[in-house]
Amino acid sequence: MTKIELTALTKEYGGTRAVDHLTCTVEPGRVTGFLGPNGAGKSTTMRLVLGLDRPTSGTATVGGRDCTTLDTPLRTVGALLDAHAAHPSRTARDHLRFLAASNRIPAARVDEVLEEAGLAPVARRRVRTFSLGMRQRLGVAAALLGDPPVLMLDEPANGLDPEGFVWMRQLLRRLAGEGRTVLMSSHLMNETSAVADHLVVLGRGRLLADVGTAEFIDANSTPCVQVRTSDPVRLRASMALKGHRMREGEGGRWLVDGATAEEVGAVSAREGIPVLELTDLRVSLEDAYLSLTAEAAEFTAASPRTVTTSQEV
Amino acid sequence: MSPATAAAAAAVVPAAPFVPVLRSEWIKIRSVRASWGSLLAILLVTTALTVLAYATIGESEAANGGNRVKEAFYTMNFAQVAALAYGATAVSSEYREGALRVSLAAVPRRGLLYCCKTAVIAVTALLVSVPTTFAAFLVGQAFLGEYAIGLGHPGVLQACVGGAVYLVLMTLFAAGLTFLLRSAVGALSVLVPFVLVGSFVLGDGAGGIGAYLPDRAGSHFFRETSPGPLGPWEGLAVTALWAAAALAVGWWAMRRRDA
Repeated sequence: MTKIELTALTKEYGGTRAVDHLTCTVEPGRVTGFLGPNGAGKSTTMRLVLGLDRPTSGTATVGGRDCTTLDTPLRTVGALLDAHAAHPSRTARDHLRFLAASNRIPAARVDEVLEEAGLAPVARRRVRTFSLGMRQRLGVAAALLGDPPVLMLDEPANGLDPEGFVWMRQLLRRLAGEGRTVLMSSHLMNETSAVADHLVVLGRGRLLADVGTAEFIDANSTPCVQVRTSDPVRLRASMALKGHRMREGEGGRWLVDGATAEEVGAVSAREGIPVLELTDLRVSLEDAYLSLTAEAAEFTAASPRTVTTSQEV
Repeated sequence: MSPATAAAAAAVVPAAPFVPVLRSEWIKIRSVRASWGSLLAILLVTTALTVLAYATIGESEAANGGNRVKEAFYTMNFAQVAALAYGATAVSSEYREGALRVSLAAVPRRGLLYCCKTAVIAVTALLVSVPTTFAAFLVGQAFLGEYAIGLGHPGVLQACVGGAVYLVLMTLFAAGLTFLLRSAVGALSVLVPFVLVGSFVLGDGAGGIGAYLPDRAGSHFFRETSPGPLGPWEGLAVTALWAAAALAVGWWAMRRRDA
């Protein structure tokens, strides 16, 4: 079992904290979505894990070891950090060949990962001619080269077409299914929710959430039910008794905040109120995520004012 | 990774960790056109300019007298610029976008990566520099008719060998500086004026500090210089110190910086 473990990880650049006392564990066997707005510290954290940047304090280990002490790190952790990092005048195959050689990975493996990434037909073309999506695929191929138990991908969905995104999703799910640790960063909640079982959310370098995807939605959204009825007056009164406010929605439908479809259905059946349509509006992950990161931003912006005016909130 | 494959991976972990890294660095240089192009340019540009120069004015210059050995290596002035360009481009490909991150994620021991890259640059430069100095001499002499001298002429073999070592040292000098400046354009815009202009201006003050400049010091074998404080081999040692200093500064930058 190879985990990524971060302990009080902190990185400062000239007085700015890019990563701030980050402690969390990325577990094997599932896809962990690493979320946060641009500048939240996701890429910096990945660089710290790989030992490319040195932490100001704290530690980042893979399988209990500092990555810079590994003899053949590509066999332990495969990373895609920047799709543009492949030299434009190298062919895709040569890019992978020098990486393979440095970690004593047999050359045959290069062709395997090219095949897996769907790049076999363009293996001998120069990277210069590649679209962003193809460069992402090359980056994924490089990450898979050492058949590593840990994969770390920074914004892998950038520039992928819909077909590419489906491929990426299936690949990451399969890798997690094989028991590997998969950490995938993104600043977009919806693309992450389609892949990740677990979420680690960062805001301004701090850990905001480390929870299961479903749990995260429940914790960060209020339920809401959309209902169409021929007797909104009575339904409103019954809902008010239950403590739920009913407001007018679109197209003659009504919205009941804080209620679930089971609740509304049970009440209307008991009261004999005709219900023509009843839907649980699952608040999208994007909204939950925005409300979480917005709170973090408000918290940091509001705290100095609270101090100066000494007001209790 | 299953326990069996993990054990297999551990078993192939080499006693000599630099062998795979040397192979990897060799593939890197071979697979970027700018790198091997500038490497071959040391030989090709020098030979082409030798043909041009000696076919046109070689015989008349030779008739004017002067040191025949040193005149035979006139085109080394161009070879050294090509050597600087090779040293700079071979290193600068690591400083495009996030290329160095990819390299360090595969070889996180920075000292190992630095030494292997430098070694591959030095060996490839040597493999091209030796034929370059011999070609410059032999091709040039072919145009000189009755004034031609042979390889057996006193000082010629020394000039060929010393000149090749000099080209390798200039390559490493540029490589070290490029590790510091992270750009071939940056390094060359410092080095080329330094070698072409600075050295002319400072170097002619005989016996002064000009004699210790990297190109002045190391080029006694093949360039007309005012008699200075340094002999040919001592001069080459001074150039070697410059190259070593540049590599030390480059290592300091590589070790210290976040990638």
